[in-house]
Amino acid sequence: MKQIDEREIIDRVLGGDREAFAVLVDTYKRPVFGLAFRMTGSAQDADDLTQESFLRAFQSLGRFRAGERFFPWLYTVSLNVIRNHLGKVKALPEEAVGKGMPEATDPSDGPADETAARERRRRLRRYLLRLPLPVREAVVLRFYEGLSFEEVAAVTGDTISCAKMKVYRGLEKIRAMMEADGFVDDEARR
Amino acid sequence: MDSDQKIEKIIGEIDGQGPSPEADGLDSRWKELEAIARMMREEPAPEPPGSLGERVMEHIRACRPSIWKVVGEVLLRPRTASVDPLRALRSPVSGQECSFYFIMVGVFYAILGVVLMIGLNRLGSALAPADWVRWQPLIALVTATCMVAIGLHVLKDGKPALRIARIGAFVYLGFALLNGIAVPLERDLPVSAALSLLSTLIGVPTGLFLIRTIQNCGKRYAQT
Repeated sequence: MKQIDEREIIDRVLGGDREAFAVLVDTYKRPVFGLAFRMTGSAQDADDLTQESFLRAFQSLGRFRAGERFFPWLYTVSLNVIRNHLGKVKALPEEAVGKGMPEATDPSDGPADETAARERRRRLRRYLLRLPLPVREAVVLRFYEGLSFEEVAAVTGDTISCAKMKVYRGLEKIRAMMEADGFVDDEARR
Repeated sequence: MDSDQKIEKIIGEIDGQGPSPEADGLDSRWKELEAIARMMREEPAPEPPGSLGERVMEHIRACRPSIWKVVGEVLLRPRTASVDPLRALRSPVSGQECSFYFIMVGVFYAILGVVLMIGLNRLGSALAPADWVRWQPLIALVTATCMVAIGLHVLKDGKPALRIARIGAFVYLGFALLNGIAVPLERDLPVSAALSLLSTLIGVPTGLFLIRTIQNCGKRYAQT
């Protein structure tokens, strides 16, 4: 979506047209839900947090600055909601990670490949959830959400080199966990 | 190569630049990290439930912010305000700028009121309770409240609020002059003369400035 359209929609919402906010919700519900899911590992929590994030964004829309891009701002709002949530709740039990999520499949994969891929994804999610929160944020934003390091830094409030450092540490930690579980060589060979 | 440079290099390589020829000993580690990054990139994005958007909008429709939230939003909303009073006297100014001057006058009178309150308290029994001088701190605080209220009104409503602002500025100017006359008539004390002078010296130019600013603000609205 073009920035000018977003500004127009935001102005309409600020002018009292609440229904205009539905355009922003439809455009961004997928990435916000994705972020919440990666950060919590729970589809139910991701659902609740997505709703909370949009509500918070709506309530804070007056503070959105002209010229600013909406998407990183929304990510920052969502990340704060997710941080608050994760600060309150206990870690998800490992067996519950990714529960309630329909698994996407590649039609070109055979049943064995599909099972292996599913297992890899599940394992990776588990490792991800063991990362410290700031490191997990950086890794999720960079690799799952596809943000540039500049954008990751803007969303998390870090410097670019700090964002890179966190991403690197995250990858190293995951590698170490995989190594401890005896999986690292399999993945590196793929 | 220090550790920061190594990290930069590895991150660059993971980001698709490929291993550099001089990456001594980093090759196998790069492959492992790159494989992890690739797995993450390739993982399909989770699909939100179909009804999620509608449920979000239900919350949005039902959302009724508290009065404090509304006031906070109005005050915290990013806006540009000029602090060039000389320009405000000469050329058209925005509603925000006009509001800013009213609020600043209010802040000044709030401080003046507190200073006078403390100062007059120290004079103790030298002043009878009914004295006009005695009322000066309260007058300053009421002026402060009115000025801030007018400023917020102009900030919120823009052009329609200018009429109230103009009336407020004229009342303020008149009261400043009246106060300048009434204080020395009331009692022959050095403090009353000082207050009279203060009231006139501050009130008259400030009142004229606010009136001029409102005129220029009206011109700006007429242009748009």
